[in-house]
Amino acid sequence: MNELIRSYGKGLTAVFVTLTAFWLLILIILPQAFMLEHSLWIIDRDDQLGMKIDRAYSDLGLMEYDLNSKEGDEKTALQEEVDSLKATIAELEAQETDPPTVYGLQNYTKMSSLHFTIFVKSIVYALMVTVLALIVCYPIAFTIAKLATPQRAALLLLGLIIPYAINELLRVYAWLMILDYQGVVNSFLAWLGLVSFENKSWVPFLEYSGSVFVALIYAYVLFMIFPIYNTVDTLDKNQLEASRDLGASTFRTHWRVVIPHAKPGIAVGCIMTFMLSVGSYSVPQIMTRGKSGDWFSQLIYRQFFESQNWNVGAAYSFSLVLVCLGFILIMMKVFKVGIRDIAK
Amino acid sequence: MRGKDVRLEDVVMRFGDFTAVQKTSLKINAGEFFSVLGPSGCGKTTILRMVSGFIEPTEGSVFIGEDNMRGLGPARRPTALIFQNLALFPLMSNWENVAFGLEARGIDRKTRRNRAFELLALVGLQGHEEKTPAELSGGQKQRVAIARALAVEPAVLLLDEPLSALDLKLRQYMRAELKEIQRKTGVTFIFITHDQGEALTMSDRIAVMKAGVVEQVDTVDNIYANPKTPFVATFVGENNVLQGKVAQADKEYAVVETSQGPLRGLNQDGLSAGETAMLFVRPERTVLVNGVIPDNSFEAHFERRDLEGAYVNLFFKTDAGPFIVHEANRGRHGDLAGAAKVGFNAGDAIVMRPGEVDNE
Repeated sequence: MNELIRSYGKGLTAVFVTLTAFWLLILIILPQAFMLEHSLWIIDRDDQLGMKIDRAYSDLGLMEYDLNSKEGDEKTALQEEVDSLKATIAELEAQETDPPTVYGLQNYTKMSSLHFTIFVKSIVYALMVTVLALIVCYPIAFTIAKLATPQRAALLLLGLIIPYAINELLRVYAWLMILDYQGVVNSFLAWLGLVSFENKSWVPFLEYSGSVFVALIYAYVLFMIFPIYNTVDTLDKNQLEASRDLGASTFRTHWRVVIPHAKPGIAVGCIMTFMLSVGSYSVPQIMTRGKSGDWFSQLIYRQFFESQNWNVGAAYSFSLVLVCLGFILIMMKVFKVGIRDIAK
Repeated sequence: MRGKDVRLEDVVMRFGDFTAVQKTSLKINAGEFFSVLGPSGCGKTTILRMVSGFIEPTEGSVFIGEDNMRGLGPARRPTALIFQNLALFPLMSNWENVAFGLEARGIDRKTRRNRAFELLALVGLQGHEEKTPAELSGGQKQRVAIARALAVEPAVLLLDEPLSALDLKLRQYMRAELKEIQRKTGVTFIFITHDQGEALTMSDRIAVMKAGVVEQVDTVDNIYANPKTPFVATFVGENNVLQGKVAQADKEYAVVETSQGPLRGLNQDGLSAGETAMLFVRPERTVLVNGVIPDNSFEAHFERRDLEGAYVNLFFKTDAGPFIVHEANRGRHGDLAGAAKVGFNAGDAIVMRPGEVDNE
């Protein structure tokens, strides 16, 4: 802090601190806290409430109609009844707009078995995507960092980055076009005479989870490649030559020299890819078009915007956050990297 | 372990348009401590990489023992390389570093661990086996690198300026150490260096290189006493250079007419009268003329003296350039001023055809 004040003066330091505090508080802590709080309470609302209010209103209408034809004592008695009914209605309405909240863990514990299956399936799928992305990206990152000439490496990186200037949705739609029933791949197969559009014998790629995997890997490739590339790039080339000179095979060189060095990058890449794919909504939504079952992210969306059940939605999303946190901790443990290595 | 000889036969190495090594043939004897000496960019590292197998020569062949090495990668050659920056594996313990070559050969963990401990003991690193290289000093790291290279029982050990990162004291100590290890193991050492002192103290023979050409291959004594080219004369050790025209010459001696008058030296290149020539004489073979008059002597302007302790370097200015006299310190140079007479014997000077000299 004093260091900052000395370097930048009080004014700038105040700006830095305010911005950081704003970022942390308004953009990270508050929404999460709101989510957590929502996920922890259940609305104790009478299921019949709406009907009761409707019925009370119709009674009230009848009574008010009767009121005109009554005289004297009868009228005062009925008037009292009307007033008390109005009070009841007001009370019921208050219950509807501001239902009593009860705190508890029910939102977390009463996930239906179907939803739980989807939850586990999504995590497994995201793990598979992460592993596949790692298998695809590690060789690419290594090639760019160590095998390519500097000019070619720059070109390759540029080639990787350029597609990311395009909106993610467009990139996913591109895959849709490639894998669709009458898409690029099936057209090619038809040209080869392997499938035919007439009798609909095309390969239904989009009905397989694999198509979501492909699109997810493609969507998040950079988040895997860059951290690995950055760490591999810092590896001294002599280490590779020393390993070769001592007779190590390519596999052993990677297993014993390159991968241990690239561990922090691999951990970061896996964490990013896992978190992005487990939470991705648009990719499974677009790629499957509802044909091969929901992913958990779609389920959360439904809780919020279709069932209007924010509390359950919040509980579901918070479960996902917890899974991601768990994944980070496991990765840190497995790869024996500290939070500082990851921050690098 | 037994060393093998290394032969380069008409080897040429080109990178695109650039020729890193011109056509070269070289024979390094089995069990020899051989140095390749030259300034940076002279092609010495290229030679080392051709022998180790990281690059294939554009033309010609490398033989180790009886075997042509063409097509064999570094993993399949009986060589081990010690890198300039050592390239120890930082995430492995020292013994794992040493055992890595054995691991690559599929030797079981227990055997390779024992072997690594033995080798670390050989280089004097008992008790450091489980540490990582980062926990060692520069000299200790050096030894781990040596042990790691020796673990694969190479016939030829290649050293790429491994001492250049060490401080002077340690460097001198490691020179003796390396020499000792070489003697004990009988492995052929090929040592790449730009430090002529290092090459002279350790080697049996030296190849001096300049701009992709091997200028001279000879024993250390011959390289120093009988340099064949102006570059070798000036790059290895110090030399005074005096230029001029040959006034008269016979088989043995030539007299060169310089700005300091006629000077006689050995006619090494067989020059004849009228040719331009360079005369080289080592500073330690020159004297301040005092009583006995040597074969050659002339007046020179005294500039300064550098005291080295047991020796003094006296710097003179002549019309032909600087002239250095290296003398034992007998405590009689303090009152030198102005002009003084310096000289040397004809047998200590070499007359050569002019050529490029080392200007450092």
